[in-house]
Amino acid sequence: MTAIQIEEAATGAVRTAPERRTRPRSSRRRSVLVSIQIAIVVAFLAAWQIGASAGWISTFLFSSPGQIVTVLAQNTGTGELWTDLGVTAQEVLIGFVIGALGGSLLGLLLWYSRFVADLSAPFITAIGSIPVLAVAPMMIIWFGTGLVSKVVIVAFSCVIVSLTNAYRGAQKVDTDLLDLMRSFGSSKTQAFTKAIVPGAMSWVIAGLKLNVGFAIIGAVVGEFISSSAGVGHMIVTGSSSFAMNQVLAGVVVVMAMVLVFGLLIDLLERILLRWDHR
Amino acid sequence: MTMSHAIEVQGIGKRYGDGPLVLDGIDFHAKAGEFVSFVGPSGCGKSTLFNIITGLLAPTEGRVLVNGTDTTGNPNRSIGYVLQKDLLMPWRTIMQNVVLGLEVHGVPRREARERASALFDTYHLSGREDSYPGQLSGGMRQRAALMRTMVTDPDIILMDEAYKALDYPLKIQLESELMDTVKAAGKTVVFVTHDIEEAVTLSDRVYVLKAHPGQVVQEIEIDLGTDSHAINERRLAPAFNDYYEAIWRSIGTGSRTERAA
Repeated sequence: MTAIQIEEAATGAVRTAPERRTRPRSSRRRSVLVSIQIAIVVAFLAAWQIGASAGWISTFLFSSPGQIVTVLAQNTGTGELWTDLGVTAQEVLIGFVIGALGGSLLGLLLWYSRFVADLSAPFITAIGSIPVLAVAPMMIIWFGTGLVSKVVIVAFSCVIVSLTNAYRGAQKVDTDLLDLMRSFGSSKTQAFTKAIVPGAMSWVIAGLKLNVGFAIIGAVVGEFISSSAGVGHMIVTGSSSFAMNQVLAGVVVVMAMVLVFGLLIDLLERILLRWDHR
Repeated sequence: MTMSHAIEVQGIGKRYGDGPLVLDGIDFHAKAGEFVSFVGPSGCGKSTLFNIITGLLAPTEGRVLVNGTDTTGNPNRSIGYVLQKDLLMPWRTIMQNVVLGLEVHGVPRREARERASALFDTYHLSGREDSYPGQLSGGMRQRAALMRTMVTDPDIILMDEAYKALDYPLKIQLESELMDTVKAAGKTVVFVTHDIEEAVTLSDRVYVLKAHPGQVVQEIEIDLGTDSHAINERRLAPAFNDYYEAIWRSIGTGSRTERAA
């Protein structure tokens, strides 16, 4: 055997052996986890429903799974649910693209100038420390009660997290890699597009993931303050008329939105970071 | 004589800020096609010297000439380098990594791939074009890193402890391959290492450095009396031990001088 063959044989063994050992175990572990998780949800809903039906739990205060499903079915029938969902989804998507993607891009671009980055650092921290709730009413006054104000609120909720994550990701890129680029005679823009952007991508994605929740919270908060439609509108009108069915139906819709949106980001991650998913 | 060397370094001195001199009055040259090594203890400024030669770092004094042109402080396309870290981009396939330099130079994608494809056989990486670095062994990654440098066809290759992280048989294997490739292509190599054995088996000439500040204490011509590129054969050449001892003693002298000073 030559050294190459030995090496190949060795790496072949290293690569396949642990996979063969761990894959069945980890997939079994995963299916056990998921089964238990589903069991917990089912048990919780069943206990709630049984308690409500038997009169141990006040449906006026706590509603019941059955009643929530009824409200969802009714609103689906009238088309109201789709209108609310559509309005909120639109606010979230546009706001997310502007805030989270725009913030990521800005954060990456800050790599170009350490001076600008250091100069803006305290301002970024200051803006990041403002609670959305505190400024949302002002946004409504500035931008009206329609789509624009909600988009601004959503974008504001996302921008700083994405910006700081992307900037940190850009800083974490191996400086030896940048030296290598320079040794090839690369321009700063080539170093940016070929080393910084892909190198920071896992940080950017992590920022996007965090922002899924923040974006939806932002939209709901905006709708709480002033709106004529949307899931937040559904919740706030429900609670003002003591219709807990409607409030909780709205909460279920919000949870579903976060779930679906999160899955979309996971898909994006699988595409952009496919080299890391082998 | 007016003929210029492939690389010539004149009176290089370097200090960082107000700190002490890291390098002091370094002179050396390498003729075209020559394999020159630097050996020295840690703290002799090997990596600083390396970065000055690549042009990534500007020296405090002195200049670097590549094929007779002053390139001090400017990265130059005639110089390629290979480090201990392979620096492959994990998000690029091996093929995409290998063509990185060509891409930066603006070579059209297709031509770049064609030029790279021709090398995969030589570097024992056929069939690995679309693998990601994370799927390859250390030796394969180091080969890919060397390919990435060689495909841009630099006149001079700088190597900094390139094989330090590899186990011994693999190191011997890759060094033998390296000698085959650079000798066949007539490349000039400047090799930085702390490993005397490596320096003696690979080099035509060795510069011995001492530390604090880094200075050349001796220059030794190596002639092992064999044309073989196989490192294990070169290692067993009768002359090997004498060179090894000479360099060993030279490094020892350097550190004694340092203590006396």
